[in-house]
Amino acid sequence: MVAVDKSFKERLIDFTFYCRERQFMLGPQDTREAFEIAERGYCLDRKLFHYSLKAIYCKRKEHFDRFDEMFDRFWSRFYEEKLEARKKQIKQLKKEPEADTIIFLGAKFNKPRKEQKEKEAKQTKGANELVRLRFTDFSKVNVADKERLEELAEELFHQMSMRFKRRLKSSNKGSIDIRRTIRHGVSKGGLMLDLAHKKKRKEKRKVVFILDVSGSMDTYSYYLLRYVMVLRTYFKSLEFFTFSTELTHVTPLLRANNEEQILKQVGRSVHSWSSGTKIGESLTAFLDAYGSKFLSQKHVVVILSDGLETGNVTQLKEAVGTIRRKCKTLIWLNPLKGMKDYQPIQKGMVNVMPHLDAFESAHNLDSLLKLEKLLMDV
Amino acid sequence: MAFSNTKITLLNKEIKALVSDFYEHDYILNEALATSVFLLKNLEKPLLLEGDPGVGKTMLASTLAAHLGTDLIRLQCYEGLDVGTTIYEWNYQKQLLHIKLFEQDRDKKALGEEIFGMDYVLKRPLLRSISAEKPVVLLIDEIDRADEEFEAYLLELLSDFQISIPELGTIRATTKPLVILTSNRTRELSDALRRRCLYHWVDFPTKAKEIDIIARKLPHIDEQLATQVVTFIHNLRKSSLHKPPGIAESLDWAKTLLLMNETHITDEVVQNTIGCVLKHKDDIEFVRNKTVQEFLVSVN
Repeated sequence: MVAVDKSFKERLIDFTFYCRERQFMLGPQDTREAFEIAERGYCLDRKLFHYSLKAIYCKRKEHFDRFDEMFDRFWSRFYEEKLEARKKQIKQLKKEPEADTIIFLGAKFNKPRKEQKEKEAKQTKGANELVRLRFTDFSKVNVADKERLEELAEELFHQMSMRFKRRLKSSNKGSIDIRRTIRHGVSKGGLMLDLAHKKKRKEKRKVVFILDVSGSMDTYSYYLLRYVMVLRTYFKSLEFFTFSTELTHVTPLLRANNEEQILKQVGRSVHSWSSGTKIGESLTAFLDAYGSKFLSQKHVVVILSDGLETGNVTQLKEAVGTIRRKCKTLIWLNPLKGMKDYQPIQKGMVNVMPHLDAFESAHNLDSLLKLEKLLMDV
Repeated sequence: MAFSNTKITLLNKEIKALVSDFYEHDYILNEALATSVFLLKNLEKPLLLEGDPGVGKTMLASTLAAHLGTDLIRLQCYEGLDVGTTIYEWNYQKQLLHIKLFEQDRDKKALGEEIFGMDYVLKRPLLRSISAEKPVVLLIDEIDRADEEFEAYLLELLSDFQISIPELGTIRATTKPLVILTSNRTRELSDALRRRCLYHWVDFPTKAKEIDIIARKLPHIDEQLATQVVTFIHNLRKSSLHKPPGIAESLDWAKTLLLMNETHITDEVVQNTIGCVLKHKDDIEFVRNKTVQEFLVSVN
């Protein structure tokens, strides 16, 4: 065992917090194991320490891919400081140690300056920050927040996928839900008077997503695409189309398991990305080419678009009407609905509104997550 | 610091020894994976390996068992896996026989207690792994294929190395097994399971490493042919296929070409043997519609 300096332990705890802020799921047990490997002497070799922490702190591939950069960013400063201090130590070999130096692994270091500590504290963000990001409109996210929003989206979408996987749901009938029955009993002194029940979820639906990737939807398309990618395994079948001036069938591209790869491929194959909007024409093309295959009374169709039609409005009205007749449920997600005082009074929206079963916003993470209930219940 | 330097050297030596010993067993470890295996041995914490099919996750467990000179207990997961198949089952025939033999001359209570002893338990892989005389390697393969309920069964074993049997109580491990779990990510594993494990994402090997693997497994192969096979496979992995080929497919193909006395890859060779590499109709069509030169462009 190697005696690990207190300041090193503090640094290790700081690193744990640094990882937690970036959505790593770390508990006290992980920190304890990190201490253990440090005490075993693994911290004396940077590479060994790096790989060991990586094995302990990463819990999934997304963490694994980001860890190297995070480790380098956090610990490089530490190693530079260590080198700097060693140089100073050589110079002051015969002098008395200064009051503001600390010993670490046999080497002397300057204590971090007070101003620096205060600066770091200001940069630390708590739960409020996450709540704020969750409600931020995708189009208004600034560059500084983008990375954090990405991480938050990844985590929240992951949690959502876990909920989608559940096979049972609470209900008034069905088998007894022991856990919830006991929980109800707590307020009645342990007497289980109210029985809670659970039953199997409805059969999974077939879903068709049609995403508008025109210039006006640019900022939202990326997050909506990621949202659809999370959902792709939880429906009996999920078909995915994009359109702006022309329709593209992108389902075959969703087969790859790697999310990053899918995004790249979709970006490459969708030629009309960020161009004008011809919703009516694109939906008619969808009906002609895929209508007979992907529309039935078992299908739910979700159209994600702002409804700012630049083409023929009558064609749009007819296409939406036909889709509605041929499917079980038609949901329209419009990011503009999240704007204050928004009214669907544009020509395009006015014509399609009578055919819709649900009209929802999709402008921030929170509104996307609310869709979960809608999609589960259809 | 003299002590520290010795310590570093010792640790590095141990990891290097691990890499070279695995190499002797035809498994090429990189430093990061070697460190994870080293921690698995030293921290006694399960190791969860995730990665595409065919990258050598299962092979790692069998090589570890060979390296340690111990047994490998493998539990192949599938949907519907239950306690009876994985942990234990009562040996009903033996219990009935015992009852028949002693029903006359024993008191009923003692008889009842006797037939619910360890002698009447059929040990399944998980129970066998914790009651072995010396530490074994326990491979829980393709855990993503099993149900979430089975994941819950595993939690007790993975964190405390013990199993609770209602009639017998808690059975603690006599020796702690080295547990390796593998997953192809066909579904997300629970956070509870992930928290209890060390983690390593096993990626496809680099081109140089894959050539090394082929040369190691097939010592008679021509270097140029091995390089062509690996270049072809690496280019295939970059294409959007239903099932990208793994290392096993590279080896199979190289072996086939060696058997057919081919010295280099041509369009005709690809037409005839691509079935060794690709297992999906659309993928085969995709390759057959292209020329071999398109897949022999050098990649890093």
